[in-house]
Amino acid sequence: MQYKKLLLLGICCALSIFAYSQNTAVSGHITDTEGNPIVGATILLQEISKGGSSDSKGNFSIKNLSPGIYTVEVRYIGYSPKIKKVNLKRNQTLKLDFQLSESAYGLEAVTISAKSKAKITKELAYNVDVIDTKQLQNSTLDIGHALDRISGVRIRESGGVGSRMSFSLNGFTGKQVKFFIDGVPMENFGSSFQLNNIPVNLAQRIEVYKGVVPIWLGSDALGGAVNIVTSKAPGSYIDASYSYGSFNTHKSVINAEYVGKNGLIAQINAFQNYSDNNYKVNVDVADINTGKYYPEQEVRRFHDSYHNETLIAKIGVVNKSYADRMLFGVTLGQNYSEIQTGARLVSVFGDWHRKGNIVMPTFKYKKNDLILDGLDLTLNANYNLGKEQNIDTVNRRYNWFQEYRQYEGEGSERSRSLYKYSNNTGVITANANYPINERHSISINSVFNSFNRKGSDELYPKNDNYDQPRKSIKNITGLGYKYEISEKWSTSVFLKHFHQSNKYSQSYNPTGNWGDLAYLNQVNTFNTIGYGIASTYFINEIVQLKASYEKSYRLPETDELYGDLVNLQGNIELDPEKSDNYNLGAQYFLDLNPHNQITINGNIIYRDARDFIRPRLNNNQTMQVMDNLFNVTNLGFDGEIRYFFNDLVSAGMNLTYQNVRNDTKYEEGQSVESVVYRDRIPNMPFLFGNADVSLFLDDVFATGNTLTVGYNMLYVHAFYLYWPSLGSDKLDIPEQISHDINVTYSIQNGKYNITAECRNITNDRLYDNFSLQKPGRSFSVKLRYFINNL
Amino acid sequence: MKFSNRLLLSVIGISLLGWACDKEDPIEPGEEGDPTGSSSKYIIASSPIASEGVADYLLTSDDLTEGTVSTVGNGKEQDGTYRYYVTNKNKFFSLLYGQGNPGAVTTYDLSSSGELNELSDFQSETVQAFAAVKDDILMAKIPRSGDENALWYRLNTESIEIVDDGQINVVELAGNGERAHFTWLTQVGEKVFAPYMSIKGCCDDIFGTQYPDSAWIAVYSYPDMQLEKVITDDRTSFIGRYFTSGIEEVETGDVYAFSSGVATNSGQNTSSKPCAITRIPNGTTEFDSDYFFNISEASDGYYLTTKTYVGNGKFVLTMHKEEEKGAYTVGKEFAIADVYNQTFTWVTGTPAPEDIQLVTQRNNYSPLDGQFAYVGITTDESSYIYEIDAINATARQGLEVEGGQITAISKLESN
Repeated sequence: MQYKKLLLLGICCALSIFAYSQNTAVSGHITDTEGNPIVGATILLQEISKGGSSDSKGNFSIKNLSPGIYTVEVRYIGYSPKIKKVNLKRNQTLKLDFQLSESAYGLEAVTISAKSKAKITKELAYNVDVIDTKQLQNSTLDIGHALDRISGVRIRESGGVGSRMSFSLNGFTGKQVKFFIDGVPMENFGSSFQLNNIPVNLAQRIEVYKGVVPIWLGSDALGGAVNIVTSKAPGSYIDASYSYGSFNTHKSVINAEYVGKNGLIAQINAFQNYSDNNYKVNVDVADINTGKYYPEQEVRRFHDSYHNETLIAKIGVVNKSYADRMLFGVTLGQNYSEIQTGARLVSVFGDWHRKGNIVMPTFKYKKNDLILDGLDLTLNANYNLGKEQNIDTVNRRYNWFQEYRQYEGEGSERSRSLYKYSNNTGVITANANYPINERHSISINSVFNSFNRKGSDELYPKNDNYDQPRKSIKNITGLGYKYEISEKWSTSVFLKHFHQSNKYSQSYNPTGNWGDLAYLNQVNTFNTIGYGIASTYFINEIVQLKASYEKSYRLPETDELYGDLVNLQGNIELDPEKSDNYNLGAQYFLDLNPHNQITINGNIIYRDARDFIRPRLNNNQTMQVMDNLFNVTNLGFDGEIRYFFNDLVSAGMNLTYQNVRNDTKYEEGQSVESVVYRDRIPNMPFLFGNADVSLFLDDVFATGNTLTVGYNMLYVHAFYLYWPSLGSDKLDIPEQISHDINVTYSIQNGKYNITAECRNITNDRLYDNFSLQKPGRSFSVKLRYFINNL
Repeated sequence: MKFSNRLLLSVIGISLLGWACDKEDPIEPGEEGDPTGSSSKYIIASSPIASEGVADYLLTSDDLTEGTVSTVGNGKEQDGTYRYYVTNKNKFFSLLYGQGNPGAVTTYDLSSSGELNELSDFQSETVQAFAAVKDDILMAKIPRSGDENALWYRLNTESIEIVDDGQINVVELAGNGERAHFTWLTQVGEKVFAPYMSIKGCCDDIFGTQYPDSAWIAVYSYPDMQLEKVITDDRTSFIGRYFTSGIEEVETGDVYAFSSGVATNSGQNTSSKPCAITRIPNGTTEFDSDYFFNISEASDGYYLTTKTYVGNGKFVLTMHKEEEKGAYTVGKEFAIADVYNQTFTWVTGTPAPEDIQLVTQRNNYSPLDGQFAYVGITTDESSYIYEIDAINATARQGLEVEGGQITAISKLESN
């Protein structure tokens, strides 16, 4: 169909050159609502079936027309089409600019919108998924749960709101994947500003770079990066919402921006989460005195309250001669988190809790065409003074019936502590782009991190170890070059230089006499070069190929080098983790007819990762220590298919399979092949997917009011807790299937919204982690007010 | 096309078949056992040598002296990376060491068909010392910093329930400004002997001490666990090691105490005392000042890291060179110490120490026949149970345990 249409168009165009006067034409510029050019939009003059498409700058031109009245139709996948009637006079070149807005359904959830976002065409070659949060704004999701709907990504949570979330991307976990907010690394932001508490409303979109990370996200990401994009084009708006749900869960968000005529800009993002998380779990309850289990009891969680409050305020100017945008701001936040369980549900606590806060001044600066035409500069800086505290001072043992034994004396539930520390982390990022000419451009990026942990415990004031320096400086510089070989083919290459220097102190005893304690200050440094390439080629209008590769590194984190003073002992000898990441992908955009559209996206990935930093028990088995121990390969596949029917239905599903295998052939000291060599890495989901259907009904009850009904399903295949090949009587994490539904009624074109949500409607027992049961069926209602262009 | 597909399928089919056969290859000796239903089984715990996903697997065998057992596709998986085992009253207890968290202890007995049979679980704390005492398992959770009170629990092996518990203030017990950290608990007559090390318990040097040259044993009544006295001896450093038993009551009722002399301060070895065995005579609670078996001297510069009693006054010791002294080292050379005659003999027949990767630290097995001990040794090739003959001071390679290191060897009689 599509081919024929295109062929026809082409023929028409060719014929028209001879048939009509050259001087009569329409031309113009097509942009999205942010003013970014849209590349490849289709322009059609309905009456004569003649048209064209927009170029890399969003410009189009249809020449050699006869005068008359035309209906100009502009279409682009993921955007609402625009239609305009024009009267074209002889020898007139009619200027027609179109601004397309994203269609209501177009980019919901996990649509691959790499092509749809003109801005992202720069990164087209990367294996990137984008969540456009527009359709999620009315949901109660946090960033973590939104990410969970992307292929290749698994979020594993240990409980309800605010619980520990672990993120995995194509088999990489934890710190191997880096997070950014507006391009600034979120390293050491503390517990008050994390995936598990940032509401999806804060983000305009979330980009997930798989395996190969463009240099403008300067980082030592081993297996990819997630960038949360909050900034929008300047404009005055208010977006406020409140939700209430099961387990006494309250969430509210206010996002507002004001732009004055004089270029003054002020932004506020404030959000709050509160939950008792007192959902029911099924657990063997131990008798408080005898330890005997009462098997399979249904009990409520009772010490799992979580709340956080965060405010991000910025003030500055836009569109000045010295800055396109300059903002000074501060992020203030705090959180309180009760700890209900240890690593297994049977280990239960009743008083132990943690607190944290974030106090982070920020600075943002952006200037295009600095000195030279086309030279764009971005600068960001922030410094986090926030503190984290672990509070375990109640000498009790609880059971799941909320009974407890009070023990005499000073003690704790786990390890007596009031330890408080601050990481004092600073980040400065600078990014510059310069197009040498139409085809060649270069960019340079530099990220500087500093870390200086200080801590103390008022219970043990004499413990001067806590006051020793734990400093680290990290600098990553990237150089990128992009060559647009043709309209269809574009390639980027990049180099990254990693530098880290750590200053640390170690206690030693110079004489062997008690109390004669001294500290040895040492500095260690490492330097490494990483590199990569990404290329994309459009076979035709509807098929795009991508390939990319990166030699990536992750430098050891400060926690791994220095320990956390609780369970983790430092190891200053660590080497960086490294990986060769390969991606091959294809996208297929198919318009079956004007009413039905299908996009298909498939990726094959291969990861060859070495020297993973893994914990082992230290020699006296009192703490864990990190070491370079482990090699892993992953040959994975993910695919996604999405279908649209007019503006009425959007349906999609994705599936990820990752074959993450142990590639450590010889364990240390062994001359025979490891018994678990090439075995599947245990305790890691390997087959999972999402499916969703949304129905959009316009003008329900009144004009401008829409009703949206959405359904989302999550599937995770069962997986073993320990090595699959060993043992016959094994522990596993069972298959997980959860169903969520939501209904949103929007009034006055989205000014007022009310959403009812039900998650885990079948009330299944869901587990991301062994024995740690997640919430059962839950309900919530969200009210949201949104007004634009104040 | 069709032909090649079929060929491909056949090849895959055959290889799968071959693979399946391979997997079944290591026949468990237990499966060929006595058809009348063997009356006992050896229980072997093994965990893979890997940097993550490590769990212990419980295997059974009829014989420790020959054959092969494997954890590949075989064995009862134990939750938690670090588990410790104790046997009493013909029940096998699998204890979790859970980073300070409470957790489930799994109990097994042996069915009449010779299978490990899971009895009820119960909840326990992470404990640092545990021992069979009379009809109980006595366990102690000993804080190394912060909390001053150790907790002890008395688990009745019949009801599989904790029947009593109590607190011991370890700072008061030490009485020297440091804290007493029990190395182990051992039943001696009607009492419990709890040797301890003095540790600072703070300041990045938790296990350091300024008292490296003394031995202490706290003597408790049983079952009420009242402190009766603390026996001290300045001829050796502390008795036992962290998480390691250092005393044994022998047939005569005398108690022998083993000191490695490995006290540290700020990571440095600071004990001036030799590795030695001392004695507490039957019925007394004082060290015998006339008995001092200097192992450093007898071995010409080695110290012991663990001991396994084989009966009749003979112990199998794991030994390590004194120039590489450490509080947590694993001895890779073996010797027989006869505490009656104060003789020390090196064992021959074990792999060269440079070929040994790991030696089972606790939970080696002896039938207490005065002759044999069964010790787990991991070389760079595989893991084996070595049969050590304490009379002749020889060792012989026995059962191979495929798939990892041996963490425990024990024995159960079937019901």
